Amino acid sequence: MTAVPDQPPPLRRDRAGAIAGGVCSALGRRLGVDPVVFRVAFVAGSAAGGVGVLIYLLAWAAIPAEGERRWSPPRVPGSRESWQVASGIGLLVLAVLLLFREWDLWIGDALVWPVVLASAGGALIWRQSAATPAPPAARDARGPRSGGTALGRGALGVALVVCAGVVFLYLNDALRPARDVLLAVVALVVVLTLILAPLWLRLARGLAEERGERIRSQERAELAAHLHDSVLQTLALMQRRADDPKVVAGLARRQERELRAWLNGRPAAAGQGGTFAAALQSAAAEVEEAHHVEIDVVAVGDCSLDQDAEAVLGAAREALVNAAKFAGEHPVSVYAEAGAERIEVFVRDRGPGFDPGAVPGDRRGLRESVHGRMRRHGGEAVVHTGDGEGTEVELTLERRP
Amino acid sequence: MTPRGFDPASLVAGLAVCGLGTLLLLDQLEVLRLSFGYVAPALLATVGVILLAAGLAGRR
Repeated sequence: MTAVPDQPPPLRRDRAGAIAGGVCSALGRRLGVDPVVFRVAFVAGSAAGGVGVLIYLLAWAAIPAEGERRWSPPRVPGSRESWQVASGIGLLVLAVLLLFREWDLWIGDALVWPVVLASAGGALIWRQSAATPAPPAARDARGPRSGGTALGRGALGVALVVCAGVVFLYLNDALRPARDVLLAVVALVVVLTLILAPLWLRLARGLAEERGERIRSQERAELAAHLHDSVLQTLALMQRRADDPKVVAGLARRQERELRAWLNGRPAAAGQGGTFAAALQSAAAEVEEAHHVEIDVVAVGDCSLDQDAEAVLGAAREALVNAAKFAGEHPVSVYAEAGAERIEVFVRDRGPGFDPGAVPGDRRGLRESVHGRMRRHGGEAVVHTGDGEGTEVELTLERRP
Repeated sequence: MTPRGFDPASLVAGLAVCGLGTLLLLDQLEVLRLSFGYVAPALLATVGVILLAAGLAGRR
C-alpha cells in the first residue's frame, strides 16, 4: 500500500475564522501556517506607506470566499518548522520594509518600527491567550518543556510590545525628560537582578527537586499498593492453602500471569471489556473464587476504564478482599454507580467490624491501597464500622474532564 | 548508495542563492549599481526564502 500525500486545502477566504476579510486565514490554511504570521506581515506592510492595505484588498478581491465552516489553524507549539516558517516570513517582510524605506514609500522610522514590533508582540500574546489549554494527558505526552515554551512565547510577546513602546518614545524624543529617572530605574533593575538571581535560581531548582521527589514518592506508593494487592495477597492466600498443592500451584500461575502482564505494561483489566462495571464484576469474581465467599455486585451505569477508574477499581478490590476475609458466612455486597462525572462504590460486609484506630501502622491494605490510592487520584474513601456492626467502605471519586 | 528523493527546500535555497549571486555579479560588472539599501533587503529576502522553504517542506 502506498501512502497518499495530503492535498492542501483550496485557497478560499474563511469567513468564520476571519478577523477582517479572511485573507490571512485563507493563506494560513493553504500553506499550513498560523494566520497570525500573515496578519503581522500585513500590519507591518500597511505601516510602510499603506502597501499592505493595498495588497490585502487585491488579495481579498482575488481570493473567493468560502461558507461558514470553521477551520482551526495548525498549532505545532515549539516545532522547528513553525519557527522556520515564522522567521522566513518575518525576514521577507523586513526586506520589503527596507526596500520601501529605500524608495521613500515610508511614513517614518518613528512610527513604522514601533508598529512592526508591537504587532509582532501583540500577535504572540494574542495567540497565547487564544490557545485552548491542552488536556492533562496531552501535556504529559508533550513533556514538561511544553509549558515553559508557551510561557517563553508569552514573555517574548510582552517584551516586544514593551520594546515597541520604548522605541516609539525614544524616536519621538519623549524619553529625554525622563532620562534620569529611566537610568535610575535601569540601574536599580540591574542591581536587583544581580542580587536576586542566585536566590531565584536556588528557589527554582528547589521547586523542581521537590516536584521530582513528590512524583517519585507517588510512584513508589502506587508500586507498593500494587504489590500489596497482588503479590502479598497471593502469598497470604498460598500460606492459608498450603495443604492443597493444586490450589497453591493455581494461585502461583495466576499471580505469575498477572505480574508478567503488569511488567509488560498491559493493563490488569485487559480482556475484560475495558469498562469499569465489567472490571468490577471480574474483580469480584476473582475474590469470590480465591476466598470462597459469596459477593453480590450491583452496578448502575458504566464508564471507560481510565486511570481514575482503575484507581477506584484497585481500592474496591482491596476493600473486597478485606470484606471477604472477615465476612464469615455472610455474603459481601457491592453497589457501584459509575458515570462520566463521578464514580461511587460501596462495599459492605456483615462481619464483626473493627476499630480503624487500632489497626497497626505496618498494615498497608486499608491505609495505602484504599485511602492512599483514592487520595492520590483526587478521590475519597470513608470507612463506616464499629465492633459488631459490620463494615462499609465508601469510595467516591469525581472524574476529571 | 541510496538514491535521494527530490528536496524542494534545497532547490529553492539553491535558486535563491543563485539569484543573490547573480545580483552581486551584475553589481561587480557595473551593470547594476547596488547600494547597501538594496543589498541588505536582498540578503534578508534570500535567508527568508530559504527558511520559509525549509519550514514548509518540513511540514509536508
